[in-house]
Amino acid sequence: MARKLLLEHAQVEGIHTYDVYRKNGGYKAVEKALKSMSPEDVVEEVKKSGLRGRGGAGFPTGMKWSFIAKPEGVPRHLLCNADESEPGTFKDRYLMEKIPHLLIEGMIVSSYALGCNSSYIYIRGEYMYVLQILERAIAEAYANGWLGKNIQGSGYDLDLHVSPGAGAYICGEETALIESLEGKRGNPRMKPPFPAVQGLWARPTVVNNVETIAAVVPIVNEGGDSYAAIGVGKSTGTKLISASGNINKPGVYEIELGVSVEEFIYSDQYCGGMKNGKRIKACVPGGSSVPILPHYLITKTAAGESRLMTYESLADGGFASGSMLGSGGFIVYDEDQCIVRNTWNFSRFYHHESCGQCSPCREGTGWMEKVLHRLEYGHGKMEDIDLLWDIQRQIEGNTICPLGDAAAWPVAAAIRHFREEFEWHVNEPKRCLETNYGLVKEKTFESVNA
Amino acid sequence: MSNIAYINNRPHEFLPGETILKFVKRIQGERTIPTLCDVPNLEPFGSCRVCSVDVALVQNGPVKTQASCHTPVTAGTYIYPSSDRVKKLRKNIIELVLTDHPLDCLTCEVNNNCELQTVAAEVGIRDVRYPEGKNHLDRKKDLSHPYMTSDFSKCINCFRCVRACDEVQGQMVLSMAGRGFDSHIIKGLNTSFKESDCVSCGACAQACPTSAISDVFESKSVAYDEKVRTVCTYCGVGCNLEVAKKNGEVKSIQAPLDAAVNGGHTCLKGRFAFGFYNHQDRITSPMIRKNGELTPVSWDEAYSFIADEFNRIKSNYSPDYIAAVSSARCTNEENYLMQKFMRAVIGTNNVDSCARVCHSPTALGMQRTFGTGAATNSIVDLKFTNCIMVIGANPTAGHPVTGAKLKQHAMKGKMTIVIDPRKTELAKYAHYHLQLRPGTNVALLNMMLYYIIQEGLEHKEFIESRTEGYEQFKEGVLRQNIDELESITGVDRELIRKAAIAYASSGNAMSFHGLGVTEHSQGTYTVMLIADLAMITGNIGRRGVGVNPLRGQNNVQGAADMGCQPHQGAGYLDVTNSDNHAKYEAYYGAKLPLHIGYKIPQMYDASLNDKLKAMWVIGEDMAQTDPNTQHVVSALKKLDLFIVQELFMTETAKLATVVLPGASFLEKDGTFTNGERRIQKVQKVVEPLPGTKPDGQIIVDIMNQMGYKQPDYNPSTMLQEISGIVPFFEGVKWEELGKNGKQWPVNKSGEGTEILHTESFKIGKGKFIGNNFRESEEILQNGKEFPYIITTNRELEHYNCGAMTRRTKNAEILKEDVLLICKEDADKHFIQDGDLVCVESARGKVDIKAKITDEVKPGVLSSTFHFPEIMLNNITSSVSDSEAMCPEYKVVAVNIRKSKGQYKHQPQTQLS
Repeated sequence: MARKLLLEHAQVEGIHTYDVYRKNGGYKAVEKALKSMSPEDVVEEVKKSGLRGRGGAGFPTGMKWSFIAKPEGVPRHLLCNADESEPGTFKDRYLMEKIPHLLIEGMIVSSYALGCNSSYIYIRGEYMYVLQILERAIAEAYANGWLGKNIQGSGYDLDLHVSPGAGAYICGEETALIESLEGKRGNPRMKPPFPAVQGLWARPTVVNNVETIAAVVPIVNEGGDSYAAIGVGKSTGTKLISASGNINKPGVYEIELGVSVEEFIYSDQYCGGMKNGKRIKACVPGGSSVPILPHYLITKTAAGESRLMTYESLADGGFASGSMLGSGGFIVYDEDQCIVRNTWNFSRFYHHESCGQCSPCREGTGWMEKVLHRLEYGHGKMEDIDLLWDIQRQIEGNTICPLGDAAAWPVAAAIRHFREEFEWHVNEPKRCLETNYGLVKEKTFESVNA
Repeated sequence: MSNIAYINNRPHEFLPGETILKFVKRIQGERTIPTLCDVPNLEPFGSCRVCSVDVALVQNGPVKTQASCHTPVTAGTYIYPSSDRVKKLRKNIIELVLTDHPLDCLTCEVNNNCELQTVAAEVGIRDVRYPEGKNHLDRKKDLSHPYMTSDFSKCINCFRCVRACDEVQGQMVLSMAGRGFDSHIIKGLNTSFKESDCVSCGACAQACPTSAISDVFESKSVAYDEKVRTVCTYCGVGCNLEVAKKNGEVKSIQAPLDAAVNGGHTCLKGRFAFGFYNHQDRITSPMIRKNGELTPVSWDEAYSFIADEFNRIKSNYSPDYIAAVSSARCTNEENYLMQKFMRAVIGTNNVDSCARVCHSPTALGMQRTFGTGAATNSIVDLKFTNCIMVIGANPTAGHPVTGAKLKQHAMKGKMTIVIDPRKTELAKYAHYHLQLRPGTNVALLNMMLYYIIQEGLEHKEFIESRTEGYEQFKEGVLRQNIDELESITGVDRELIRKAAIAYASSGNAMSFHGLGVTEHSQGTYTVMLIADLAMITGNIGRRGVGVNPLRGQNNVQGAADMGCQPHQGAGYLDVTNSDNHAKYEAYYGAKLPLHIGYKIPQMYDASLNDKLKAMWVIGEDMAQTDPNTQHVVSALKKLDLFIVQELFMTETAKLATVVLPGASFLEKDGTFTNGERRIQKVQKVVEPLPGTKPDGQIIVDIMNQMGYKQPDYNPSTMLQEISGIVPFFEGVKWEELGKNGKQWPVNKSGEGTEILHTESFKIGKGKFIGNNFRESEEILQNGKEFPYIITTNRELEHYNCGAMTRRTKNAEILKEDVLLICKEDADKHFIQDGDLVCVESARGKVDIKAKITDEVKPGVLSSTFHFPEIMLNNITSSVSDSEAMCPEYKVVAVNIRKSKGQYKHQPQTQLS
């Protein structure tokens, strides 16, 4: 049985309340950190743990923390990015809803490590009921002396605030999040300066994902080395995966990194196999923005090795034949699903969510959506496929924030792996409205390496 | 190697902090990288991505595309500004932008001056591959505003207008609403220009790369014959203007980006309020009062009449029966001529200028403490200061371009102290707003000095080495009764203490002051205390510090520099000093008087006492703007000869016996000296209206008419003459003034001076001069009977008497003078917003519309005198500064009541 570090007590009755959480070993990490560890010790343990950002980019958390500037007399801030809006990703909601105190405990320990005295949870506006859960939990934490002045007599002060977004995906981008938290329009900022130097109110700031912060609790409790013992290579510890699509058991799973994709999809412990016994057609392993994988690249890499649920293995082969672990939004498609329609759906999302700041993204996401819509509804031309390719190429890497990349990658990967299905939409416009294309043919990867 | 990067594999040195865009443009030329969202006077924004370039770490190695506008150059990198990849990218981006842009270039205002058009041409768009889809081409135009226009169907979402509104003006009216494809610019909370809080500065229009935002003058159109660079005629900021003319008429005005003073910015007066210059009300013929009527006459007739009258009065009485008021709106050369005429041709020192009624206490106070009556530093110093203290000034209305810079400082959270009875716009952003009772500046500044000494924050080294008189001064300050001063000012002492500490401990602090300092009975004393504050904290003589008066009129500095003062000749030389006297006599080739002449208020008294028979006034409407109107008018009416040289039939001109039609700044050459001592070129844009003459030429004509040989008015030769007598103009030459002028003192080799008193003061050591608070006579005499204090102010849209601005569309934006009154006082008198209020002082009364506001405290009222319909100066007093005789506009004891006329009138209209 795989170990659960975050969701171990998720099913315990009343775990969302302080008393039950405390009885189940809650706030021990705070006790340990404040009593017996210096902030540097905590950072050191996190570095040792090999914990990587769970929001999608997978940047080593300990290293991110060590970048924070520490000018004399300037307050620092820890922001928790709970603006979980990536289609296919719902793990943070589950965690906050079930065990809100775990996040709060993680916030206290992490804030202590970073030397912050006021920290913020920026939560997705649509998660209003989760916000209420968090607020209740924070009030309990204050009432029990885990927040506020002189926490548990340690001399350390921390105020924790929750602030809801207003329904914009872009505010999950860390600098847009900061702008939004400052009360401004959520437009991403140019970097440099990086938030670690000039973030919230121009002060040094660290922005971490909910799951990342929660993972600091077991790391402090059990030590970085013990955490690092789980997983494979540089993918250490456990990861929450939001599984959805045509599988038997959609839901949030905590996996030990290194589990094989095959096991994850087919074992009863996790997704429980394909629904209705259909064949698997494609998989988006890390949220809507990561490249989609065709059936023959899901459980095996292009090199024929078993594909594992790790940062490295999922990315094996680069964008030509790999994808990304991303935020862990694992979407499975069976043979009845239409890739063009799915890509159009994703594009519609990014078109709707582009902030409008950079020309390529503002105009480009709109046109990708329009062109894909045309293809899906049988009005497309063969040139449209090249046009789509052209648009995504000029968005990728050419915007201030990664939303542009996130919008471009799914389109690029869909064309890369499923071009014949796009062409079929052009060639047989009527049939594409009535039926679906089915599986695509396997390819070798030198030929499609774009 | 540490500062070398490669462009197309060629090594070049880059400057520290240089962006790739600036680097490549510097090396390869301005047009090498196309841009859309980049503007030189705004921060890089990186949104259009058209400026993208390829960057590699090794020669011809793998490249990364980066936006060059905001990416700093990294040593050793290889930049490929126009690789095929990048060229394709640019083309694709522009193609996308064009999918949502009306391609109606031929009929567009900015045809041939459109950045989108230029960039599209440069990247070579031949075809837009996108099928027609949803677009925003049906957006409605906004033509609601007298000046600003918008047509957002042409918007390309570059954010330049939003950034200009934020970063240049700081008004935050424009913003982006909607996301992605729905992104669109809104004004305020999605209203029109007219309804929004727009201050019509036009920065957005100038920043807009297309014609999405423009103005009614189509200032971005290329349909003009010529552009002439000149200097604005309104306030003392001295904005450079680029005036486009067509068919001999002014078409539109923009602000040049390379102007040192205003760098691409100006306000609605400078940019839009030029319509007065050919307004039908312009006087276009000399007039002489015959049988009680002003009758048009020829120039010759006017000249000989004037000369005869002057000669008659000179011989019947004495030259001292003649006086002149020169104009701070005129050029240095004209002011120089005016005082020269009075001194050398008439033979009297009775020459003054409107500096008397604004900054004469500044000149005097700073001369006594520092030796020079002018701003010690430059506006550019705002970039280097940590703290600004603004005393008795409302720069966002009175000096909008400097005001915007001060506001930017405050909005960045940098220390800002405002001392003002009104909650001015700047006060709303300030850390400390010391909202004192009008007329108590001296008390408040003494408290600040007290706390600085008490806290031990004096700059001992500076005091020791650079100043004198400190010990005595310190004793005087410490003797102050703080309890008493606190109750006099009405400001919490703790707040004053904190502000004093902030000013003294900021490292570099600049003070700015305006007429709220000078137009008081203790104006000169207040200026000296401001100087004391600067000296005691060592804030003099380097970047980012100093005492910086915000001069009111475009050339009020110059008028005093040129000697339009009764006690000092050209270059501030004392006229009673025999050496100076000899120097002037030799230079002018005439016999000059040795005694001081009349200041403006003394002229009125002299006239009423039959000691003055003739006055010549250029460009000043004293009947509307000088205090105690009835007193002024009766004095002017009593004169035998009253020459008014004007653009319009002002309230003063209506009293004249002779009217001479002068020319506006757009119709003449010369120089103006701005508030930071910058001598800048005024260049003729259009010919003077038929029948009018440049004021300098009129003076020259009369000088010649009276037998003094003076060559025709020409700025170059005039400046040559001035540089021979005014010491600090020594190296000033018309031909060498260049685009941005020079700041005096200008030495022989032509070098100007940005900062005064760097090594030593003009008078050697700075003098500490202490002064105690003394209640104004106005309050002492009338305070009981008239318990309210009205203080005068200015609004952004209008300039002083409004003779010019009321004849432009500014009058559509702000239509009338109003009385600012707080809720408490209004309730006490049953006054509602918009009611007519009768404001009565010991001199007279006026009816004025009330505006209930939190800008003033109980007991304090405030109003403007831009409109002759109100003539607020009917109630202001003749009390003036004890030293410089600057009138006390800012403290007038009044009483208020709901106007009877309005009160009676209202029920009647309701009944019928």
